[in-house]
Amino acid sequence: MSNEKIIEATDITLAYRRTRHRVSSLKQTAIDTINRRMSYEDFYALNGVSFEVSRGETLSVIGRNGAGKSTLLKVLARVLPPTSGRIIVRGSVAPMIELGAGFNPELTGAENIMLYGTLLGRDAKTMQSRIEAIADWAQLTEHLDIPIRAYSSGMVARLAFATATDVTPDLLLIDEVLSVGDEDFQTRSKARTEAMMNSGCAVVLVTHDLTAVKSMATRAIYLDHGAMRASGKPDDVIDAYHADLA
Amino acid sequence: MVIYDSSIPQTPVISALKGVWEKRSLLKLLVARDLTVRYKRSVIGIWWSLLNPLFTTAVMFYVFNTVFKAKLPDGQSFLPYLLSGVLTMTLFNQGLTMAADSIATGAGVLTKVYVRPEIFAFSATISSAINFLFGLIPLTVVLLIFGKHPGIKTPLLLVFMLCMTLFTTGLGLMLAIAYVNFDDSRSLINIFLLALQYMTPVFYPITALGPHTQRVIHLNPLTSYLQIFRDVYGGNAVATVHEWLMMGGTSIFFFVLGFYVFGRTWPKVVAKL
Repeated sequence: MSNEKIIEATDITLAYRRTRHRVSSLKQTAIDTINRRMSYEDFYALNGVSFEVSRGETLSVIGRNGAGKSTLLKVLARVLPPTSGRIIVRGSVAPMIELGAGFNPELTGAENIMLYGTLLGRDAKTMQSRIEAIADWAQLTEHLDIPIRAYSSGMVARLAFATATDVTPDLLLIDEVLSVGDEDFQTRSKARTEAMMNSGCAVVLVTHDLTAVKSMATRAIYLDHGAMRASGKPDDVIDAYHADLA
Repeated sequence: MVIYDSSIPQTPVISALKGVWEKRSLLKLLVARDLTVRYKRSVIGIWWSLLNPLFTTAVMFYVFNTVFKAKLPDGQSFLPYLLSGVLTMTLFNQGLTMAADSIATGAGVLTKVYVRPEIFAFSATISSAINFLFGLIPLTVVLLIFGKHPGIKTPLLLVFMLCMTLFTTGLGLMLAIAYVNFDDSRSLINIFLLALQYMTPVFYPITALGPHTQRVIHLNPLTSYLQIFRDVYGGNAVATVHEWLMMGGTSIFFFVLGFYVFGRTWPKVVAKL
């Protein structure tokens, strides 16, 4: 079971046509169409990327801004189907997104735990029974019945993190390592993340923090303009990345 | 265990509907969220949400009853006629714009978590429908004052609400794509909705128009929706078979079209966000 492949990505490509000038208003689109100034280009956000991640492994994705790292996470979260190639993901996926993105300020802490957890694909009944434990970890038991607009940003971050990490998924997607909250929260969230990583789930970690890659990743890939430039041991991949930057 | 394989082909519309059905517990929570935010936290919440349609009706009633002296066919009363019109337009406008808005504002989550965005659109149109039910309270009062009563056709109200929900969900999905792609689409849709309101017999009787204009007004699907609502609740109009067919046809057509267009376009939007 420990060698079970959680992700199998074969030659995944994500291409789309976009306007050269990134027009974002109907007015500009109309003017450009009339003046025949609309020009399109084919853009490859991902270009023939292949890799596998097994249970217990942590794959780190590095590369410059716009290299396709976030697109790859969207493909893995099955939000975005690849235009060609094949991706197989076995089991439950939990993305660790910007903390509090799925929250509504007018709802109470308890209501937000329910909503956010269900949004992350968990069963509503299970969520109901987990509210107390989640609030306990977030140290917010006394504040559960007030709307979270009265919370401080640190409290919101704690609640979101506690909800997101309440169950261990088969695949954990991390976009940048957390750096919010006070020192106590940082230590506890780091410990919890590491515990999840060691509990046998597969992890895909996207980050610019190369020290974190060296300490956490078992393997790494380096993306540049959507294509995979290097893959293998974290140290070797980081060297390849540095060689390109120089 | 859930296995996601991107090579398994997805049937347009059908697989989206299946996805919504599988996550119906989330849909329930989203509707509850909308209603909670609107009503629970304030005692006057329900009345507050009715303030807009009631105030609009009061202004229009004054203008058209006093200034223009609107004349309806015999046996129909202007105030309930007008209030049904305003409630129907509110249901349509609110459902449509909230459906599009819920997807546009939820984009941050929807691009990172696997959730069918169509669920967000549904939750918006369903909560608008519930909002509409509250609007029936003042309408019933007005009907009784004018010596009318809801009548035996009232159960058909459910058909009207179902059709409106499908209609606004489909249109809202397409509007959501515009909202996310073009910053200025929000102000443009308001102009369009205003024009549509004047093209719907909210405050004037259709018979007051010339034959050519009448034909144009009948091409607007909302005319059929509104006439049916007036017919089944209060008897302030007589809906024709043509109008029933128009309502049923457009609701299914735009619902399917909205799901189809959204399903084809959304991945491209997500890729760019």
